[in-house]
Amino acid sequence: MAVSTAPPTRPAGRPRPGAPARTRPADARRRAEGRAGYVFLTPWLLGLMAITAVPMLLSLYLSFTDFDVLSDWDQINWVGFANYERMFTQDPVFWKSVGVTLTFALIAVPLKLAAALGVAMLLNRERRGTGLFRALFYLPSLLGGSVALALVWRAIFSRDGSFNAFLDVFGITGQPWVNDPDWALETLMVLAIWQFGAPMVIFLAGLKQVPAELYEAAEVDGAGPVRRFWHITLPMLSPVIFFNLVLETINGFQGFTSAYVVSDGTGGPVGSTMLYTLHLYTQGFTEFKMGYASALAWVFLLAIGAITALFFSTGRFWVHYADGDGK
Amino acid sequence: MQSTEPHPRATRPAPAQGTSRRRRLRHALTAAIVAVPLVLGAAACSDDDEGTTVEFFWWGGDARATMTQQALDLYQSKHPDVKINATWQTFDGYYDKLATISGGGNAPDIFQIDDNGLAEYAARNVTLDLTPYVESKKLDLSNHYEGLTTYGQIDGKQVAVATGENTPALIYDKTKLAELGVDEPTEGWTYDEYITWAASVTEKSGGEYFGSMDPSSDYKALWLWLRSQGKEFYNGTQLAFTQEDLTAWFTLWQQAREKGATPPADVVHEAVTGSVDTQLVVTGKGATSFMWSNQLGELGKATESELGMVPYPGDLKGQWARASTYWAGSRATEHPEVVADIINFLTNDPEAGAILGTDRGLPPNKTTRAALESAQTDPYAKATFVFENGMADQFGPAPAPPPKGHSGLRNTLRDIAESVTYGTATPADAAAQFFTEATAALSG
Repeated sequence: MAVSTAPPTRPAGRPRPGAPARTRPADARRRAEGRAGYVFLTPWLLGLMAITAVPMLLSLYLSFTDFDVLSDWDQINWVGFANYERMFTQDPVFWKSVGVTLTFALIAVPLKLAAALGVAMLLNRERRGTGLFRALFYLPSLLGGSVALALVWRAIFSRDGSFNAFLDVFGITGQPWVNDPDWALETLMVLAIWQFGAPMVIFLAGLKQVPAELYEAAEVDGAGPVRRFWHITLPMLSPVIFFNLVLETINGFQGFTSAYVVSDGTGGPVGSTMLYTLHLYTQGFTEFKMGYASALAWVFLLAIGAITALFFSTGRFWVHYADGDGK
Repeated sequence: MQSTEPHPRATRPAPAQGTSRRRRLRHALTAAIVAVPLVLGAAACSDDDEGTTVEFFWWGGDARATMTQQALDLYQSKHPDVKINATWQTFDGYYDKLATISGGGNAPDIFQIDDNGLAEYAARNVTLDLTPYVESKKLDLSNHYEGLTTYGQIDGKQVAVATGENTPALIYDKTKLAELGVDEPTEGWTYDEYITWAASVTEKSGGEYFGSMDPSSDYKALWLWLRSQGKEFYNGTQLAFTQEDLTAWFTLWQQAREKGATPPADVVHEAVTGSVDTQLVVTGKGATSFMWSNQLGELGKATESELGMVPYPGDLKGQWARASTYWAGSRATEHPEVVADIINFLTNDPEAGAILGTDRGLPPNKTTRAALESAQTDPYAKATFVFENGMADQFGPAPAPPPKGHSGLRNTLRDIAESVTYGTATPADAAAQFFTEATAALSG
C-alpha cells in the first residue's frame, strides 16, 4: 500500500520551469524532499508497525500455539498445525459459522448493492427535495455498525416489538423474528441492507460521470429505458460497481456488531446468527483459546483475500474503464 | 479514480533557494512532534512510586457502586497512604474486559470474580495466592462460614474470598398466583410435582402466561438437579454425569413444554440471554424464574408484583453455600499485603459490612451477618436471610468451583439445550452432541 501512494517520478527529459539547467542541486533537493517525505510518513508508519503489522505477525505466531490470554508468555507451547487441524476436523461450530457467514454475505451484499444502485438512480435526477432525500437515505449508514442501532433492531423485531404490532394492524400474526432461528439471520440482513447509504453515494457520483450524450444518442437510436440501463448505465458504471462490490463484500464478511448485540454474544438462537467473527471472538475472549482464535483469524484473512482476488481476476471480463485501458 | 490531470507537483513552480533554512526548521519541528510524545510516554512509565496505589475492578449497578465506593473511602480514610482506583461496569462485557487487561499483564490488583471464572483465572496463575495471608491472619477468615472459605480454594490454595453467599432460588410471582387462587410452590417438591403445578398455572391463567420458566439450558439448574439425585456436574476437570443423565434432563423439560408448563422457545431464549429486565417474572410472561437468592430485591424493584422465593425443586442436598462473588488479587500486584488488607477490611470490618449490606449476598462473616440480619427492615432482604438460614443445615457438601473450560462448556450447554427447545434436535441427539463438544470445551 505504501508503494502505490508514492508520487510518480518525473520524466527525466522534461525541463522544469524555474530551474532549467542546474540538475545537480535539483537532484539533491529531490533527495531532501524524499527524506522529508519519510519524516512525514513516520507517525503513520510507526502506527502501522505498532498497531497493524506487529500484532498481525504476532497473531500468526500465536496461531501455532496454545496461547490462552491469561497465562505468562513462557507458558506458551508450540502446537504446530493443531489449531488449523482442529478447525476443520473437530469444531462443528466452525462449519456452522462458515455457513452462516456465507449465507449472510451472499444474500445481503447483492441486495444492498441493488438497493443502493436503485435508489441512486432515482435520486440522480435533479428535482426539488432530492438533496433532502439523499441525506435521508444516507442517514442509516452514518449510524454504521453501532450498538445502539442493533439494540433498537432487537427491540423492533422481537415478539412484542413494534414490527409485529404493525403487522397486527393488517391482521398478520408476526414471528419472534430475532428470537426465531429461521428468521434471526434474515433480520440482521435487513439491517445490513437498510444501511445502503455509503455505496449509494458512490453510485451517485458514478452516475454523474456518465456522459449525457450517450443517453441522447441511444434515445435517438430508439433504445428504451431498460436497454439504456443495460448498455450504457451498467457498463459505464462497472468500475464503481466493482469498487462497491469489493468493499461491501469485505464489509459483509466482517459483520459482527449487530449479530453480537442482537444475540447477546451467543450467536443464537441455536447458532443461527453465529457469524464467523462472532465465533472467533467467543473462542478468544470468552473461552480463552486465543491461539485457536488467531488461527481462525488467519484462515478468515486468507478466505477474504481469495475472494477479493477472485473479483479482481474476473474484473477484466466485466469492468470497463472509460479510457479503454482496462479492457 | 481515473485521474487524467497531470500530477499536481509537476506544475508547481520550484521554490527558491532561500527556503532551505525554512525547510530545515520544518524537519526539526517534525522530528520534535514525533519525538516529544515518545519521550513523554517513556517518562510517564517510570515514575509512579509515590504512595501505594491499588487498582480495584468490579461489576454491578449504580446502587452497588455507591456502597462499594463508600466502603473503599472508609478504608482510605483509615489508611491515608493508600489510594484505591476503583473502576466498575455492568456485568455485560466485564469478563471480556478483565480478560483483555489481564492478558496484557495489567490485571487489577483486586477484582471481583465469580465461580464461573475463578478456575479459569486461578488455573492460569492470574490470581494471587492468599494462603500465606490467611495463615498469618492478616486476612482473617476464622469468623467466616467455612463452606464459603472452602469454595474459594483451588488446588489447596486460597485464591479468592467470598464477598457473600447466595444460592439458586426459584423466584415466583405471588400476586399472580393469588389472583388465580393457586398454591404457592413449596420447598421439597419433586420436579414432577413442580411441572404439574406449573401446567395447572398456565391452564388457569387461560394461556395468558406460563407456569414456569424452562431452565434446561441453565447449567446451575442442571447442576442442582444432578446433585439432588446424589450426582455431580464436574469431577475435577471432567464431566461427572452421563449422556443418559443429560437425555433425561432434556426430556424432562421437553415434556414440561408439551404439557404447557413452560413457554415457547423464543420466550425462553429471550429470558436466558437477557438481563434482570427480561426474566419472566418481570415481563409477566411466566409465574416463575430460576434465579439466585440475592436477586430477589433487584427483581422485586423491576416489577409491580410481589415476589416470593423457594429453593429449586428436588432434594435440598443439591444446594450448597455458594459464594455469590469473590474478591481476588492479582499475582502481579506490587502490594500483596495491601491487597490482603483491603479484602480483609471489606469482608470483616463491621462498618464496611454495614455499608455493603446484602448486595453481594449474605456477608461471609458470621458476626456481620448476624448484625445485619437484626438491623434489616427491607422485606425482600429479610426474606433472603430467612431463605438462606432456613436451608443452612440441609446444605449438601460444597463441590469444587467449576474447572477451567467452564465458560465454554456453559455456552455449549446453552446452545445445545436450545436446539431441543426449538425442536431441531431430539433430547438423545442433543445429549450426544453435547458430549462430543464438551470434550473440546474442557480440553482447553
